[in-house]
Amino acid sequence: MNWHPLWLSLQVTAVATALMVAAGLPLAWLLARRRFRGATLLETLLMLPLVLPPTVVGYYLLLALGRGSPIVTWFGWRILFTWGAAAIASAVVGLPLLVQAARAAIAGVDPALEHAARTLGSSELEVLWRVTLPLARRGILAGLVLAATRALGEFGATLMVAGNIPGRTQTLPLAIYDAVQNRQYDQANALVLLMTALAFLSLWAVRRFEQPRPTRPAAAASESS
Amino acid sequence: MTYTSTECGPAQVGLSADFTVNRQAFRLHVRLEIGAEILVLFGPSGSGKTTTLNAIAGIVTPERGCITLAGQVLFRRQEGTRPVNLPARQRRVGYVFQHYALFPHLTALENVAYPLRGPARHRQAMALLERLNLTRLADRYPHELSGGQQQRVAIARALAAAPRLLLLDEPFSALDLAVRQHLQRDLAALQRELGLPVIYVTHRLEDAFAVGQRLAVMRDGEVAQIGPIEDVFRHPADAHVAGIIGIANLFRSRVIAADVGGVTLDWDGLQLVAPPQAVEVGGMATAYIRPEDVKIIYPDRPLTEAVQHNQTTGRIIENSFRPGARHLLVALPNGHEIEVRHPPSTYAPLNLQVGQEVRLALRREALVLLK
Repeated sequence: MNWHPLWLSLQVTAVATALMVAAGLPLAWLLARRRFRGATLLETLLMLPLVLPPTVVGYYLLLALGRGSPIVTWFGWRILFTWGAAAIASAVVGLPLLVQAARAAIAGVDPALEHAARTLGSSELEVLWRVTLPLARRGILAGLVLAATRALGEFGATLMVAGNIPGRTQTLPLAIYDAVQNRQYDQANALVLLMTALAFLSLWAVRRFEQPRPTRPAAAASESS
Repeated sequence: MTYTSTECGPAQVGLSADFTVNRQAFRLHVRLEIGAEILVLFGPSGSGKTTTLNAIAGIVTPERGCITLAGQVLFRRQEGTRPVNLPARQRRVGYVFQHYALFPHLTALENVAYPLRGPARHRQAMALLERLNLTRLADRYPHELSGGQQQRVAIARALAAAPRLLLLDEPFSALDLAVRQHLQRDLAALQRELGLPVIYVTHRLEDAFAVGQRLAVMRDGEVAQIGPIEDVFRHPADAHVAGIIGIANLFRSRVIAADVGGVTLDWDGLQLVAPPQAVEVGGMATAYIRPEDVKIIYPDRPLTEAVQHNQTTGRIIENSFRPGARHLLVALPNGHEIEVRHPPSTYAPLNLQVGQEVRLALRREALVLLK
């Protein structure tokens, strides 16, 4: 049994998750809290990877990361057909799920609470850190788990930009494809079972996050001052 | 950095505000000066009271005007001067929001400690909770507190940020009468103790009497009148103000007795009983009753609780219908007139007409004595 695809997948997913948090949370906040021209356009563009065929997303990424793109000509950053490209592809495909959930969670925080924090001397960053994010935490975590799981299972776009090089860019979903092609059904069965378990656990976690937070027994509250 | 300015209002201690806010189909123009006192901002809903507070706190940006607090310019946008718009966090204006806006993820203590810094912050927060008799509730979350308790936590939290002005938006609207009166006394005491300017927004006249020293009557986005409460009541600037504050049923009467059973008043020959309270026997008192609280007695029905006291006869001299209400003006035997207001369908069996004799009762609990 070859476990390398699992470790590579976890590595790719970790980096993709970091990228999604870095890009997704500011975007979610922007869409939830600021009115600006082109907000609807931006939102639509962000959602596109949800409905486009992964090959189309992959093709765009090939253009964006390939020869002649600013990333290569300006920064000399040759990332195609490395695991880094797989991480970027996974992040782009998972991002809509995070942005959607986080935007809804942030929009659900009462703006009066943020105003109150400002009148109490908080800067915008402090308002975000001490009021908005803690109150939106459950929704953001649910979105994050969902997005990370989607990133873990990424196949099409990853194949286009990172290839399927065993030991270098072959992630778990690609390894399953190879195993089936080569009729290595023992390997395929094991990896499919693993993938299903991971997906099941993450959806389970999302449900838990989305449940309302437990309140303390009413007896404690009814005692008067 | 502190800007002191002369062209922008003289207030060195209190607040001076003169600004315009434009919203779709709504224009707010406010001019206010306030020292270390409680100013009641009174007016019907939609008259611009909350927007006024928001502009002073820095949540809403006026189109033009000037706001100074304790000699510092908080906001200025006028021709020929450098614009100033301090962010809310630098204004040191305490704000108790209408629904308190306590942070639901923090306990009462953590809420109060929110604006505080340093290792002593929890001790300082505890001292404030103690001042507002909340010590035992320090570890409760907002949803575990009653409305009155939440309100006191919100006041403690606003005070923790060492404000130079305290704004309260309808602070007592959700509370029952007993709690409200208790908190109103607390607020007045707190204001005297801290020597803070306080602006208190309400749409209920009783609240204005209970806490206020000066009254600003707002109407359609303007301050229609501002002055000591008694003055505004005795000399309303115009019929609009008189209408808003319900001047109709305001009268001077002599206190002829006061004991645990109540206060007995003599209104030029008509004896009335008000709920017990501390007043000087023999002195004059201004009394007030809302037109809704003057009831007409059905001659053929048993007396209910509401009409047991303060009965008199009268003759209807005016009868008019306005949206949702009928107004009657009734001439009393003592030479005065009293306004009666009730839903159009009430008293239909009596077939009330101008010229008709009726029996009235002034609801005892609703008879308010002004200081």
